[in-house]
Amino acid sequence: MHASAYEVLASAASGTLSSFWLLIVIPAASGGILLLLGRRADRWGHLLGCASVGVAFVLGLVYFFQLGGLPATDRRATLDLFTFIQVAALKVDFGLLFDPLSAVFVLLITGVGFLIHVYAVGYMADDPKRRTFFAYFNIFVAAMLLLVLGNNYVMLYIGWEGVGLASYLLISFWYTRPSAATAGKKAFIMNRVGDAGLAIAIFVMFANLHTVSYDGVFANVDRFTSGTTLALGLLLLIGACGKSGQFPLQAWLPDAMEGPTPVSALIHAATMVTAGVYLIARSNPIFDANPTAQAVVAAVGAVTLLIGCIIGCAKDDIKRVLAWSTVSQIGYMFLGVGLGGGAYALAIIHLLAHGFFKAGLFLGAGSVMHAMNDQVDIRRFGGLWKYMKITWITFGVGWLAIIGIPPLSGFFSKEPIIAEAFDRPGWAGWVLGFAALLGAGLTAFYMTRLFVLTFHGPERWTDDIKHPHESPPVMTVPLMLLAIGSAAAGALMATPVQDWLNPTVFGVEGGEVPEHVHLSHTVVTILSIAITVLGGLLGWWLFRNGTSLQEQPAGPVVTAARKNLYGDTVNETVFEKPGTYLTRALVYFDNKGIDGLVNGLAAAVGGGSGRLRRAQTGFVRSYALSMLGGALLVAVAFLVVRLG
Amino acid sequence: MNGFTIATPAQVLAIDVRLPDLDYAAMAPMLVLFGAACLGVLVDAFAPRQSRHTIQFALSFIALTVALLAVIREARVGSRELTADVALAIDGPTLFLQGTLAVLGIVALLLVGERALEKGGPFVSQAAIPVGSEADRRQAREEGATEVFPLTLFALSGMMLFVAANDLLTMFVALEVFSLPLYLLCALARRRRLVSQEAALKYFLLGAFASAFFIFGMALLYGFAGTVSFGGIHDAALLATTSPLLLFTGLAMVAVGLLFKIAAVPFHVWTPDVYQGAPTSVTAFMAACTKVAAFGGLLRVLYVAFDRARWDIEPVIGTIAILTMLVGAILAVTQTDIKRLLAYSSIANAGYLLVGALAFSKEGLSSAMFYLAAYGFTVIAAFAVITLVRDDDGEATHLSRWAGLGREAPLVAGVFTFLMLAFAGIPLTSGFTSKFAVFGAALGVGEAWPVALVIVGVVTSMILAFPYLRVVVMMWLSEPAEQSPTVAIPGAFTSAALMVGVLATLLLGVFPSPVLDLADRAAEFIR
Amino acid sequence: MEPGYYVVLAAVLFTIGAVGVLIRRNAIVLFMCIELMLNAGNLALVTFSRINGTLDGQIMAFFVMVVAAAEVVIGLAIIMSIFRTRRSASVDDANLLKY
Repeated sequence: MHASAYEVLASAASGTLSSFWLLIVIPAASGGILLLLGRRADRWGHLLGCASVGVAFVLGLVYFFQLGGLPATDRRATLDLFTFIQVAALKVDFGLLFDPLSAVFVLLITGVGFLIHVYAVGYMADDPKRRTFFAYFNIFVAAMLLLVLGNNYVMLYIGWEGVGLASYLLISFWYTRPSAATAGKKAFIMNRVGDAGLAIAIFVMFANLHTVSYDGVFANVDRFTSGTTLALGLLLLIGACGKSGQFPLQAWLPDAMEGPTPVSALIHAATMVTAGVYLIARSNPIFDANPTAQAVVAAVGAVTLLIGCIIGCAKDDIKRVLAWSTVSQIGYMFLGVGLGGGAYALAIIHLLAHGFFKAGLFLGAGSVMHAMNDQVDIRRFGGLWKYMKITWITFGVGWLAIIGIPPLSGFFSKEPIIAEAFDRPGWAGWVLGFAALLGAGLTAFYMTRLFVLTFHGPERWTDDIKHPHESPPVMTVPLMLLAIGSAAAGALMATPVQDWLNPTVFGVEGGEVPEHVHLSHTVVTILSIAITVLGGLLGWWLFRNGTSLQEQPAGPVVTAARKNLYGDTVNETVFEKPGTYLTRALVYFDNKGIDGLVNGLAAAVGGGSGRLRRAQTGFVRSYALSMLGGALLVAVAFLVVRLG
Repeated sequence: MNGFTIATPAQVLAIDVRLPDLDYAAMAPMLVLFGAACLGVLVDAFAPRQSRHTIQFALSFIALTVALLAVIREARVGSRELTADVALAIDGPTLFLQGTLAVLGIVALLLVGERALEKGGPFVSQAAIPVGSEADRRQAREEGATEVFPLTLFALSGMMLFVAANDLLTMFVALEVFSLPLYLLCALARRRRLVSQEAALKYFLLGAFASAFFIFGMALLYGFAGTVSFGGIHDAALLATTSPLLLFTGLAMVAVGLLFKIAAVPFHVWTPDVYQGAPTSVTAFMAACTKVAAFGGLLRVLYVAFDRARWDIEPVIGTIAILTMLVGAILAVTQTDIKRLLAYSSIANAGYLLVGALAFSKEGLSSAMFYLAAYGFTVIAAFAVITLVRDDDGEATHLSRWAGLGREAPLVAGVFTFLMLAFAGIPLTSGFTSKFAVFGAALGVGEAWPVALVIVGVVTSMILAFPYLRVVVMMWLSEPAEQSPTVAIPGAFTSAALMVGVLATLLLGVFPSPVLDLADRAAEFIR
Repeated sequence: MEPGYYVVLAAVLFTIGAVGVLIRRNAIVLFMCIELMLNAGNLALVTFSRINGTLDGQIMAFFVMVVAAAEVVIGLAIIMSIFRTRRSASVDDANLLKY
């Protein structure tokens, strides 16, 4: 498909659809009310917070069906509320767009968001600042909805900054530990790098086309030179990488887990981090116009999914394991959108499914932490299945879903991406395909490790825990609903969702039969199930008896063995050591290389700043010297420019 | 020097000298302020001591309001004319900037007139008394000086004249009329007067130094064009019969004088010291109003007198803009004093404004004017917050003292957080819309220089977000210091100033269109 | 005499003044150097007035003188007040504000 095929379709919203701006206004208004009323709203604030998102979800469903009722080519509604900025040829409307892609995101954000809100009622019950928490939560939801509902890049950017800000506040405000501040700082720097990419991309679009609306840009993609599309693609990719925690800007995401668990679930698993995928999917005409940019996206996805898996194997903090798995699953989505064509829709479906099972897993982790006095070390869990049956079962569903056991959702959404990766012609197909396949196996391994260590094997609790208890219903009901969602989301593949996304958004005819370049679909399916089962079995076999309480990679084997209360020396030497070295190397690279780069950048600015400061000596005569020097330079420069 | 023709003294004397026509209605805003300032001097001499502050404040407030109404009236009439021969240009940009100056002046006046925060106000009654002497201890208990009001009015009338000046001589006189009161205002702080006097000395010496460059540049341009009116210089540049050496050396030296006032690198050196040393309400006044006036003047010089030399100006001033953005942003990172931090941020903002100015288009002009208005409100509100955070020794401006402020005074910290976000250019604040407008206008030109400037602009604004957010983190996350400063309860004046500043920052961020429209309609110079 | 020489003289005076600002420490002397620069400007104005055959330059010189006089008043006031406290007119002693 070529980008010039993009057509500006029928637009102006009518009927019920003309009120879809309510989706953004309701949560925003609720957040505003909670902040303005202050303590007066303490008693019922959380209820209002939940209700507003619930109403938004119901409205979202109504609009969704409205949209579905339209003929396939008309599934699109725009609203221009008012002119936001008008300078020169640049006119930016405060305009919204509701189309199938937005609709899917709206349902995910409000649906999963609602469940997490309900869960947070229980989780934050003892927190004196619960009302403020819900206010920020609502504002986050509003910003995220603005991000996916805007009809131009500036609206997207506003939502983009809004969610970034809300997440920064939510990480920072609840935890006063220094590590939280550091995490906030790292998240901030990396996101700024990404934001700069996106901002420059927007300005490049404007400089070339004098418009930033989706319609205006996509209809004119063929007017760009190929260099411009490549630059645009890479800049957008930098933006997406920053927000979605992709290589090389991935390190902030796991650190952001310092925030309360519902925050991790909502922002750092289900919604905000998928904004990068949305950005690339939305900008698909730009990426379609430049295969190189697409290939880079796919490569970034493949690299990230492997990094995420491998580091996930090495972590012992339950939330960090889940965080790295988020990084890796978003890697799959990037791989999908990078493959282009029909794989866009696959990536979006994986995103939906991931929204369900990852939110479920995070909330399950929160439930476990709730029972274990906020312990996060999985080596300190074990045998919990007897005590918290609902959490166990729902977490189990999420676990099976993420590793891709049929018929759960992960299988249906991940496996086609692997197959598509193999379908890429040339050696790239082999590389991407095997990376995706290997990732599936590793995912199965570390997720099984997480599951087994948490819920099975001997009890290795810290002494202060006597009777772990199941969480209250306000927390378990969302867990159950999310588990049902994660189990059933795969059924989306059986519905025309793919076609629903394809023709209107991507201009691709649905039902396109891909030619299988390397391996047939059946072979890929069998391979991926096999490697998943293998990874899972290995994880179960290694960790069925629990694990050492020591830092596993520490010290020589003998020491580890002597101090090893539950672990198996042989297992460690034969299976874990090589993996350990690999992961340590990666963690090292991650810390020194990427963090080093970011920190180095910060240090360079800081150092330069520190040194430059010294030039401000405080002596008025040296100031006069600087002015005189400046004046001479300006005069000489004018003459050189003029006469030279 | 063969190009010159020499006139005989007889020819010189034969030139007919007539008094030019003056359009008093068009000059009313300046005349009102100037008259009120003179009246203020008399009030200070004759009114009884206890009622001086009230009378002076009322007088200044009324004068500014009347001036604002006069500007609005003139704008409604739609006058576009040159008056006082060609010395003054009353056109769209003049009226827009004069209106902005009047509004910002009223807001800044509220801060200057505040006396609830400190007994006797932030100014000392007799600045000449040596610091630490017996007389100084006595006057610490006295009412502060009320000369600040006429001085502020003189400065504002000079600024209004400056944005309307249509020849270099008027511009020079206006420059001095608004600079001289500012030098004095800097020296009047009640607390930390040594620092305040040092700021005044530095500002004065460097300001006079820059004025000398301006005058010499003016002389050279006069030599080049035979006139100092902008239209005349424009026409002479077109003919280009005389030496471009005079033109460009003159332009460079005049530019030095103007770039000094807008605080562009490397003429920015005074800014941090003066912003830190001056009384905070005066700093707020300078940061908002001086920037408006100085940029108004610079825009007129560039657009009216030198638009033919655009291709020569762009690389030179463009380089300065890049340096200004970089130095401002990078140096802001390691600052430990909040007033100094805002000074560097104001330097970086001068860079962003230059990006708009260098577009050399109607859009560049209108977006720069919008930026000036938006930035003025935000910066006044930010300095207003700084006046509130105090300890026994006056204002606590060291950043470490701000740690944990969010717990002590959530409202004040919340307001300051919002202002910092606005400086950082987060959407839905005026900081975002104004940066967007300026960068958009620069890119609208579609040439290489503006694009490079915009890229540097985006990158530096990302760097600059870091120090702002550091303050936010400091306020909300850090443990309060041992002896944390108290947050004073703002008096009615400061509250009003804060409210106006914050509301304007929010409204210009969410509904910028009316003001953008206004700026757009005003954005046309006459020659 | 060739009026061009006066322009050169003005430039030389301006340079002497500028260099003086850089090398002298006493605030009063430093200030006088700035006055020298202003007067170099005046000389240039008058010279160009003669060259161009218009009176404007001479009138401008008067304006500059008046403004310079006002500047002296302000400047001496500031220098005096700081001198009273510090007992020193050296500009290098005013060095509290830096970095």
